[in-house]
Amino acid sequence: MHEMSIALEVCRIAEQQVGVAAVPRVVAVGLDVGDDAGVEISSLEFCLESLLSTPPFRGARPVISRLRGDVLRVSYLEVDDGGPDD
Amino acid sequence: MAVRTIDVRERVMARSDELAADVRRRLQAAGVLTFNLVSSPGSGKTTLLERTLADLGEEIGISVVTGDVQTQNDADRLARHTDRLVQAVVTNGACHLDARQVATALDEVDLDRTRLLFIENVGNLVCPAGWDLGEDAKIVLFSVTEGEDKPVKYPKMFQRARYAVLSKMDLLPHVPFSVEKAVDFARQVNPTIEFLFASALAPDGMREWYGFLRAQLRRTE
Repeated sequence: MHEMSIALEVCRIAEQQVGVAAVPRVVAVGLDVGDDAGVEISSLEFCLESLLSTPPFRGARPVISRLRGDVLRVSYLEVDDGGPDD
Repeated sequence: MAVRTIDVRERVMARSDELAADVRRRLQAAGVLTFNLVSSPGSGKTTLLERTLADLGEEIGISVVTGDVQTQNDADRLARHTDRLVQAVVTNGACHLDARQVATALDEVDLDRTRLLFIENVGNLVCPAGWDLGEDAKIVLFSVTEGEDKPVKYPKMFQRARYAVLSKMDLLPHVPFSVEKAVDFARQVNPTIEFLFASALAPDGMREWYGFLRAQLRRTE
């Protein structure tokens, strides 16, 4: 189950990118995962859903794009900065 | 609601690889040759190391960091064969060692008295393949009581390993295992993998392994 180690690292990268205070406002985490990355996609998705639905996250959605090769990276984050609808 | 997209493009393994590079620098600075020993559970990693420690531990200066999901059993077994510290890492459920655990374990290892370090990984042919621990090379053990097609079933591990040790060779007459097929399967996924043959329970079964270790150490001098 090394997917859980990977999911934990994804959460660490997200936290580092947006800062601890903004973590609850992350709404999506985009990942690129290669076919040869040695990652079981559904298992990684499950681990990410579990971690991103618990504090300090508040239900951010993992969005996994499958690519060729052994790429494994966090490609983007979507953050809700608030606004008129709030 | 105003959603902003932040471009990240950060490799998930980047931090882990940095930690592994730190471990590698530390070991190389101390002049320590390091092998990451990987295999499925029961291939004979601990038995190979027990005999190696008993026969060569003092002559060569061997230290061991051993990882298990639970228990210190392997560390206790190995410690009986050496007065050197055998450092145990209990991963508490994690299926592989990581560079941070190795870095912490090394704090307890006397690197000045060590020329050869074995990191005995958690028995698992999947997860440890993707984690660099700062080793010089991965050595995958593969016993004759397993299927010859292990290399094609677990290609990533055999691709990442520079050496394969076919273990329990003394059992070969009793099992339907083709060495030729096993080597062929391994070379299908890694054409440059080098094979060694060992039998830790046969009196003469370690000669090739010990010759390999001595040759590797000479190359680093």
